Amino acid sequence: MLDPDPRVIANKRLLGVVPGKPGVGDRKEPAEEDTVMVWPNLLIRHAVTALVVIVIVVLIAAFFDAPLREIANPTNTPNPEKAPWYFAALQELLALFHPLVAGVLVPGAIILGLVALPYIDRNPSIDPRKRQIARTAFTVFMLLWIALTLIGFMFRGENWSWVWPWEEWHGEL
Amino acid sequence: MKTSERIRKSTIGRSFFRNPDRVTERDRAAGHWSNFLLHLYPVKVRKVEITFKYTAFLGVASVVLFGILTVTGIFLMFFYVPSPANAYGDVQTIQNQVAFGQFLRNSHRWAAHLMVLAVAAHLARVFYRGAYKPPKEFNWVIGVVLLVLTLLLSFTGYLLPWDQLAYWAVTVGTAMAAYVPLVGDQVQELLLGGPTVGAPTLLRFYVLHVAVLPVALVAVLTIHIWRWRKDSMLTMDSDQGDTDA
Repeated sequence: MLDPDPRVIANKRLLGVVPGKPGVGDRKEPAEEDTVMVWPNLLIRHAVTALVVIVIVVLIAAFFDAPLREIANPTNTPNPEKAPWYFAALQELLALFHPLVAGVLVPGAIILGLVALPYIDRNPSIDPRKRQIARTAFTVFMLLWIALTLIGFMFRGENWSWVWPWEEWHGEL
Repeated sequence: MKTSERIRKSTIGRSFFRNPDRVTERDRAAGHWSNFLLHLYPVKVRKVEITFKYTAFLGVASVVLFGILTVTGIFLMFFYVPSPANAYGDVQTIQNQVAFGQFLRNSHRWAAHLMVLAVAAHLARVFYRGAYKPPKEFNWVIGVVLLVLTLLLSFTGYLLPWDQLAYWAVTVGTAMAAYVPLVGDQVQELLLGGPTVGAPTLLRFYVLHVAVLPVALVAVLTIHIWRWRKDSMLTMDSDQGDTDA
């Protein structure tokens, strides 16, 4: 829309006044008193986090050696044969269901489900009391996954039979 | 005047920092705009974002772990040849003969496991505070991509020591790929470079582990952090309850 009468003030021209529009999404600016400067408030916290993480890694590395078994031998299959711990839940599912379900459908559904989550859950509220379905579903999924991971990691021995970790240890990191 | 301030205000300091003052809020904002690393940060954030309860600092912990993995990983690369004839012996040499070799290999291994945990925990924390809601949906999607990249990095690295643990874990892991309908066998063969885990697998996993996946992760991570900065001043719905709506 053209301004019918632009006023000229010393090399500056007011082209028109338009209603403001948020730059990103449905932007609501927080009140001034609800914000803090990143320098130093957030930077110092991130620096402390970095130091804590480094100390944790240094301590673990100083006291526990990374495992190194005998050299790889394609003719000698260990029993049990274990995937890395973060795939232990999938391996446990593989023992329970058809490989197409456990090896393809479940991991595929988890990744796709996570990607699609913000488009499925259209409830705009972030109030925990108003999103009990989403929170319950996610919590159930997480607990199931952690349980399956622990079972595959610690509670499975020879021929994938059930063992108690305090009697026989088969977890590999 | 403090020493750090004197350094910043020297001729070299001025050329380096451009805005040497850190006194007023305006100075600090100018510092952000003229500093490459700081420009990944917003100038201001909402108060809630600096509390432990809100983020548990899991995102930054993941980045720090990735940094540790990069440094220790480059160190390990100096002493490691990715072939079945050399790999295992090289790892033994790193542990027994290289100065700090055992310690840095340990750090690399444990930081890798911790990074998987930290990234997964970051995902859970973001879910529980509802930070994937509009307009941040797509940054959640990018985060899921980063989780997958983290798992792939960890898995490809798992093979490199070429011991029994590595060999059979990767045999089990890649066997799952064979179950994909129609193209499963081809996918498995593409990963392994043959019918079983062998010399081509080790080389492929090595190249993925030290070049392809880290570069991909840094690229995607940059977008992730950039979007976080852009959204850092967003007030989410019902942040302050429903009263202000």
